[in-house]
Amino acid sequence: MTRLWPSTLAGRTFLVLLLGLLIAQLVGLAIHGLDRVEALRLHQSREQVDRVVQLWRAVATTPPGGRAQVLREFDFPSGMSASLDDQPRTSATPPPPFMARIAGAGPSPLMRGPPLLRPRETLTSGTDPPGGVMLALRLFDGTWLNIITRPPRPRFWHSPTFLASFGVMSLAVALLSFWAVRRLTQPVTTLAQAAERLGRDVNAPPLPEDGPTEVRKAASAFNTMAERIRKFVADRTTMLAAISHDLRTPITRMKLRAEFVEDSELRAKMLADLDEMERMVAATLAFTRDEATAETPAPLDLAALLRTVADEANDVAGAELVQVEAPAHLALPARAVALKRAVTNLIGNALAHAGACRVRLLAEPGSAKILIEDSGPGIPDSELERVFQPFHRLDPSRSRETGGMGLGLPIARNILRAHGGDVRLANRQPQGLVATVTLPA
Amino acid sequence: MDRDPHILVVDDDREIRDLLARFLRGHGMRVSTARDGREMKRDFDEARYALVVLDLMLPGEDGLALLRWVRGRGATPVVMLTAMGEETDRIVGLELGADDYLPKPFNPRELLARIRAVLRRAESAGPAMPPASGFSFAGWRLETARRRLLDPAGIEVALTGNEYELLHVMLERPGRVLTRDVLLDLVHGRATGPFDRAVDVAVSRLRRKLEDDGKAPDIIKTVRGGGYVFSVPVERIGA
Repeated sequence: MTRLWPSTLAGRTFLVLLLGLLIAQLVGLAIHGLDRVEALRLHQSREQVDRVVQLWRAVATTPPGGRAQVLREFDFPSGMSASLDDQPRTSATPPPPFMARIAGAGPSPLMRGPPLLRPRETLTSGTDPPGGVMLALRLFDGTWLNIITRPPRPRFWHSPTFLASFGVMSLAVALLSFWAVRRLTQPVTTLAQAAERLGRDVNAPPLPEDGPTEVRKAASAFNTMAERIRKFVADRTTMLAAISHDLRTPITRMKLRAEFVEDSELRAKMLADLDEMERMVAATLAFTRDEATAETPAPLDLAALLRTVADEANDVAGAELVQVEAPAHLALPARAVALKRAVTNLIGNALAHAGACRVRLLAEPGSAKILIEDSGPGIPDSELERVFQPFHRLDPSRSRETGGMGLGLPIARNILRAHGGDVRLANRQPQGLVATVTLPA
Repeated sequence: MDRDPHILVVDDDREIRDLLARFLRGHGMRVSTARDGREMKRDFDEARYALVVLDLMLPGEDGLALLRWVRGRGATPVVMLTAMGEETDRIVGLELGADDYLPKPFNPRELLARIRAVLRRAESAGPAMPPASGFSFAGWRLETARRRLLDPAGIEVALTGNEYELLHVMLERPGRVLTRDVLLDLVHGRATGPFDRAVDVAVSRLRRKLEDDGKAPDIIKTVRGGGYVFSVPVERIGA
């Protein structure tokens, strides 16, 4: 049952509508069919009566020697037969109502005409099995004209085009309702898509406010909600940016003051703390300022960019921690500063957690793929997506040592998505983590 | 080089101004301070500063307007202190002809290194040479405002800080033999660690990026006895 019940609103509405229409059509057809059967019966009984009267007259007006000839040549309608016998043939079954008037007491058509032509005696009964009528009419000379009529049962599906027209009608109804349902449920789909877009990008374009009243109202309510969310996010972002911005002056002062500290060990520690604060402020500002879309895209050599980021990381470490496997060149349109930050964040993440990594650049038709693989501890599968949430930390105590504040990966993903690409994390076998970056070429 | 170059620090934060002055004095410089454009202009012509450290965000006339004013009065080098990482300010500052920029909050030692490098560059490039906004050579193009290198097809090729600085100083002195020591002196050290080998490393990486055959290089040639020469014609793109 559940398998037959469709999952979409359109499917369900369509199914219910189709079932309703089908039942209505069947009931209509049944009424029509019964009417038709009734009319056919009436017509048939009239014809049978006419024929019986005709046969009687033909036999009654013919001398006894020619009667067999008349019977042979009479044009019997289907289901009717007659014979001349010495005895009446009847059965115990009562006659069906439609034949009653032939023999009935009322003004039977047989009793019309000159008295010589009227049967001297009339016996009627139903046939065995029922459905027809047996009629015994006594001629003047005493012989009986026995007639059995068994009119064909009127067929419900009489017309041969009946099934074809039923099919065509059903198909037309189905197609029309399918179209109408699709049209009516389309706004729900549009709304769902808009909600999903909003989830990914707060600045997604508003929904068009048109269509039927309810749809218009829903779109308008949705747009109002989106506007409020936008404002809320903007306020929070502005606040965060303002705090980070204002922190720069005190940090600058403290860095200058640290230079006058005599104890060189203490000075180094103070400067390291200040550098960490600066990195946090820088990350927050980069995240809030939406660096991802500030530049205009221009052609860029991705292979050179990866080598540069790796070289810089290796220079700082004084060791070959990052290895690059890339073609000589791979040009694609990109925002150079933003993309460099994204790649730096991803490589920095691998270095912070695994100590070393391998960067591979693969050219694929229509896109480029960057794999940043490490052999570190990896992360639980349930965290693979969650680490892309801002300020999310796997293990607060551990990330304090590595100096992260949970913005590196979200910034990288924001930037890559703004490029029409994405980044995903996956665990490697037997151990390690791989960040897969895709970028459209 | 003048043993005691006279530096003017323009910043509206009194603490930063005083601390910076004290720090630079401690490293053998004469320092004057100004809190805004008015104070800066007061003694500007008489003082003949060797270099101006200019904050971008100032009350009244902002740093960019003052930079333009300084440029209108001669070739006094300017190091801008910009808001952190704000690309547009940085680009505008460099396009207007600041000799270098440093985002706040900066490391004082980094600023010192930059000041020294700019002073050295100003000295060796001669007095009449305004900072170029770019260079072109062999179809390539180095844009100093955006600190980026474009290949002959217009595709950006990323450079590390060292590679950029090295290419920049070589482009300013085409055809001249530059020893490792000179290059070390001109390229201010941003990288940590031993730097003398860093020159060779940066040159070999640069050659690779410029598609200059390492065995028979055309663009950056190795000179016997330890040095390099930039050996293709260079065209300066004016500021």
